[in-house]
Amino acid sequence: MNVTLTVNGTQRTITVESRRLLADVLRQEFNLSGVHIGCAHGACGCCTVHVDGAPKLSCLTFAGQCDGKSISTVEVLGGVEAEHPLQAAFRSEHGLQCGYCTPGFVMTLAPFVDDRVAEGRMPDDLEIREAMSGNICRCTGYHGIVAAVRKAIGDRLAKGTQA
Amino acid sequence: MLRPSAFEYHKPETLDQALALLAEFGDEGRPLAGGQSLVPMMNLRLARPQHLVDINDLGLEAIERDGPILRIGALVRHERYLTDPLIGALMPVFQEGVHYIGHPTIRRHGSIGGSLAHADPTAELPLLAVLYDAQIVVRSVNGERRVAAAAFFHGAYMTAIDPGEMIVAVEFPIPQTAAAGAFIEVGERRGDFALAAVAVQLAIDGGRIGTASVACSGAAQHAIRLPELERALIGKPLGEPAPENEIARIAGALKPPGDHAASADYRRALLKTLLTRATATACARAREIS
Amino acid sequence: MSQKMDRPKHVGARIQRFEDTRFLSGTARYIDDIRPPNVLHLSFVRAQVAHGKILDIDTSGLEFLDFPVQFFTGADIGDLSIKAHQDFPEMQYSEQPLLARERVRFVGEPVVAVLADDSYQAEDAAEMVFVDYEPLPAVATMAQARDPEVPGLFDGWKTNVFIERQMKGGDIAKARAEAAHVFTRTYSTQRQAGVPMEGRGVVAEYNPSDRMLTVWSSTQIPHLLRTYLSEELGWPESRLRVIAPDVGGGFGVKGQVFVEEVLVPWLALKTGRPVKWIEDRREHLTASIHARDHQHTLEAYVSADGRLLGLKADISVDVGAYSTFPFTAAGDPGMAAKVMPGPYDFQHYEATFRALASNKCPIGTYRGVGRPSAVFAQERLMDDIAKELGLDPIEFRLKNIIREFPYKNALGFTYDPGSYAETLEKIQELVAQDRAAALASRGDPNKRIGVGLACFVEQTAHGTPDFTRRRVPIETGYIAARVEMTPDGQAIVEVGLQNHGQGHETVFAQVAADALGIAPQHVHVRHGDTLTTPYSVGTWGSRGGALGGGAVHMAAGKLADKLKAIAGHLLQADAKTIVLKDGLAHPEGEPGRHVAVAKLARAALRNVGELPQGMEPGLEAQVSLDGPADGTYANAVHAAVVEIDIHSGKLELKRFVVAEDCGTILNPLVVDGQVRGGVVQGIGSALFEHFIYDEDCQPLTTTFADYLMPLAPEIPDIELHHFETPTPLTPLGAKGLGEGGAIGPAAAIANAVADALQVEVQSTPLNANAVWRLSAHARGDLHDG
Repeated sequence: MNVTLTVNGTQRTITVESRRLLADVLRQEFNLSGVHIGCAHGACGCCTVHVDGAPKLSCLTFAGQCDGKSISTVEVLGGVEAEHPLQAAFRSEHGLQCGYCTPGFVMTLAPFVDDRVAEGRMPDDLEIREAMSGNICRCTGYHGIVAAVRKAIGDRLAKGTQA
Repeated sequence: MLRPSAFEYHKPETLDQALALLAEFGDEGRPLAGGQSLVPMMNLRLARPQHLVDINDLGLEAIERDGPILRIGALVRHERYLTDPLIGALMPVFQEGVHYIGHPTIRRHGSIGGSLAHADPTAELPLLAVLYDAQIVVRSVNGERRVAAAAFFHGAYMTAIDPGEMIVAVEFPIPQTAAAGAFIEVGERRGDFALAAVAVQLAIDGGRIGTASVACSGAAQHAIRLPELERALIGKPLGEPAPENEIARIAGALKPPGDHAASADYRRALLKTLLTRATATACARAREIS
Repeated sequence: MSQKMDRPKHVGARIQRFEDTRFLSGTARYIDDIRPPNVLHLSFVRAQVAHGKILDIDTSGLEFLDFPVQFFTGADIGDLSIKAHQDFPEMQYSEQPLLARERVRFVGEPVVAVLADDSYQAEDAAEMVFVDYEPLPAVATMAQARDPEVPGLFDGWKTNVFIERQMKGGDIAKARAEAAHVFTRTYSTQRQAGVPMEGRGVVAEYNPSDRMLTVWSSTQIPHLLRTYLSEELGWPESRLRVIAPDVGGGFGVKGQVFVEEVLVPWLALKTGRPVKWIEDRREHLTASIHARDHQHTLEAYVSADGRLLGLKADISVDVGAYSTFPFTAAGDPGMAAKVMPGPYDFQHYEATFRALASNKCPIGTYRGVGRPSAVFAQERLMDDIAKELGLDPIEFRLKNIIREFPYKNALGFTYDPGSYAETLEKIQELVAQDRAAALASRGDPNKRIGVGLACFVEQTAHGTPDFTRRRVPIETGYIAARVEMTPDGQAIVEVGLQNHGQGHETVFAQVAADALGIAPQHVHVRHGDTLTTPYSVGTWGSRGGALGGGAVHMAAGKLADKLKAIAGHLLQADAKTIVLKDGLAHPEGEPGRHVAVAKLARAALRNVGELPQGMEPGLEAQVSLDGPADGTYANAVHAAVVEIDIHSGKLELKRFVVAEDCGTILNPLVVDGQVRGGVVQGIGSALFEHFIYDEDCQPLTTTFADYLMPLAPEIPDIELHHFETPTPLTPLGAKGLGEGGAIGPAAAIANAVADALQVEVQSTPLNANAVWRLSAHARGDLHDG
């Protein structure tokens, strides 16, 4: 089938078999190696991307379902230097080790950070942990990730909401 | 690899087109809603539909009040309930139960029609449908029928849906008198399917329990009601403690499944505990509003 | 040289990791990102019965496919196999063929390899192959494995015991005779595994132009894999290159050589095309390796005044169907037996340990290797003894803890200095209030609070003699580093390790930067490629920082000596007085009289006419560093505070505190991350993670819906308190660090549950059902327990 996708801002029409998972198509057709497949059954969050702005598991989504939709992956968030404030906070708070789950966490949590900043409030630890409860990290024990979210929200609240 | 076997993808623009496709494909067709249950099954090749009929854009996403009925479109996503004012005002137990569903990304995409059709034995929405005596509105090219939740679930992952049919909406009777309830669940981790869960809804009649609805999951291969306990609760003063002996007797007679996640004995004891607590919480909440 | 000159500038600093950017930006390259053109995708037909004779492999269905496909069975691969033999006469020999021949021995064992141009099609094709088995009875339990009536899993086996041996020191009979109290208990820890978020994967490509066979594998041990491949495939090692690209977690799981890693290059040679295999999650959970599955019976001999006199241990491990390379079937039971004496002062010890075969996935290394199970048994026993004797469990430990160093334990292992008592006293102080709250909760009708701790030493970075003694194919444990300076004054560090989360690219840059007087940002650390890195055993056994860091320090030191000699020559100063700092070389105390390190590098590599007479051009140095014979001993105390709903069995982990000592801290950010990450894996061991087989050895936990790892909401903040006792046994004073976090939690949490419920806890996992069962006593309702 033919599918037109806008991926990280660029529109392209591709021909794919209907059973191809969005995760595979992003990796193979669009060379987006930041999309990682951890379980391929919707239980680990590694493959999270944004479809029309909202986090979605690309292993539970067929590329064919995304015709006309806009998709963003971690590659577009902060560029090759990973300059998005949440990415910077992951770095300073040691929110990653092997890095495999990291794009999924970042894509899951970036809108969460935006929403809390928009509300002008710092969530408590449990709310932050609940926000990442669909993502498994096997390396960090989550501590650094929670700290990174807190820092990303805190820094932006301190600066005002312009970031 | 965990990738699905081949299928043909269809994206009808109208409900009638979707029903026509499902009628054409029969056993070999499946509606695709949020995909949070069906696609994992397909990736594991435990489900192999030849045709997937994408029903995401058919306008089945309304939550509407229709007299004594709250109609929830099949494609309403779980996260909507958490902020929907109608649900919050009319069915707080429903909202309480939704908090236990999965995690944010699942709640954003999973739909009520998909959850009910998947019929996981301990999923929250089937339990809520059973609790509220919901009618599941199922449609095919031959027309529409309503199946009472109590008759809808036939077993683990088995429902009354026939080939060619799909869920279009779920109708919840709105509690007509002052009511209070509680939903309590125990799972191994937050967001896991429950080991057992209990939901209680009490209609308040003066200082007493008018009618009672008690449902649980983990006691059988699908959510069930406990009519004996419901009868025992009717007429009880709200201030009275939960009838523990009665609950113990009723829970003791349950024959829950035992598996690697939990033994039958444990599930039975857990149900007793949750029934006691949910009943007590519901009564306490009823006292607050009466 | 003065102390002041030696003080490191970068080592010990909390530096953000250099490697993070590529992981955060999505530009890292993992195994599935290796995509050679014209590649064939491999999918397996795996055994669906646990034990059976292969009667027929029906591949006729493949003929009807509308795409090209190739397949290979056990009959095609000759005698290629994984051979992992411990060289003791007691060891019964076994091999795992790359593809099952005649017989399958666990669900998930590869039987047929199917190749297609597309990965989806390879999976479709594998489904078209039907294997007919004559089922054989499965060996499912330890009792069955030890039953002499049960036929052996391999031809010629007398029983299903891979090996049973003993370890002893002192005189156990004397300890028994002198004891006022004897305590006997049995403890068990369940089958689980490391489960990195990236599964395994292998890609192989043969290039006829230079006759190089290149193998990419998501492995922790690239050089060991290269040697194994060379020997098994009969391929010259000089024409073999193994590359471990970015590896998405290992935890020991990827520290074995697997059948798939040998088969994929064999298939590439056979088919003349690149071949790629990416493991799926179901394969990972059923057919990579499992871990733990221990049962320990301990007998402790205690004096009238509460001193441990001796310990006798009987250790069984269900190691599954095959012996794994390079640590063998004896790895886990042997390690448990070796470390059981722990941090306590007694001189009489005897252990019998055995590896039992079953029709389950083979057991391999996983963070802690035997130690989490040993510490669980040992520390549960300490609490059970204290309770029975009416002693405070912390005071009982303080009474028995080793305080003087070096200490030679009952088995003759020498412990270097540590902070055993200090960490214990620190924890005692930190949990005092929680212990009071626990005591106050004893009569509560619903919730009980408990505090438990685990106190342990961890042998890390052990050297060659430890492996020689065990006669295992790993043979040695050294790490090599090569440091090279480029003419611009920057440095390249090449280590024989594989960095999959440990922060090597940052920490080794810090170490080299201090020696060379340049910025860590100017040090490029490379790893994971046998073509460019010096031969080493790879990343396992908590040796990256201690030995890898040590080797980098020594190699960079050699290079620094040469730089100083050149600087002395150019500045006309005594080379011994030269200081390298901030990119400059100058005589000590004369910072104004300097020359840039980059100029020295250029002199050594380009303007070699500027070198002192007779000095060889070039600027690189290589050092291989073996571990200390007995290893260096890290120590820690973990404490858990739990709150238990005695009616539902729900356990909430309220607090987890660690006081640990890994010697010199090279980078606190990395140390904190390693400890916390390990702890949370240990919490998974304690509470959730369990590979379950039914009585026919069918696996029941084959997806993440059934194999439950910790998610963020279940985990509290992990509180850390560091002690720093540098070891004299490694160049930087660092001890091993990577595994310790995972060693204590099962014991600490089980002790907390025992405290809360006032019962003896004998096994993990402590899931809701188990805690509910253990709460029966607290409910005062023994009938429904």
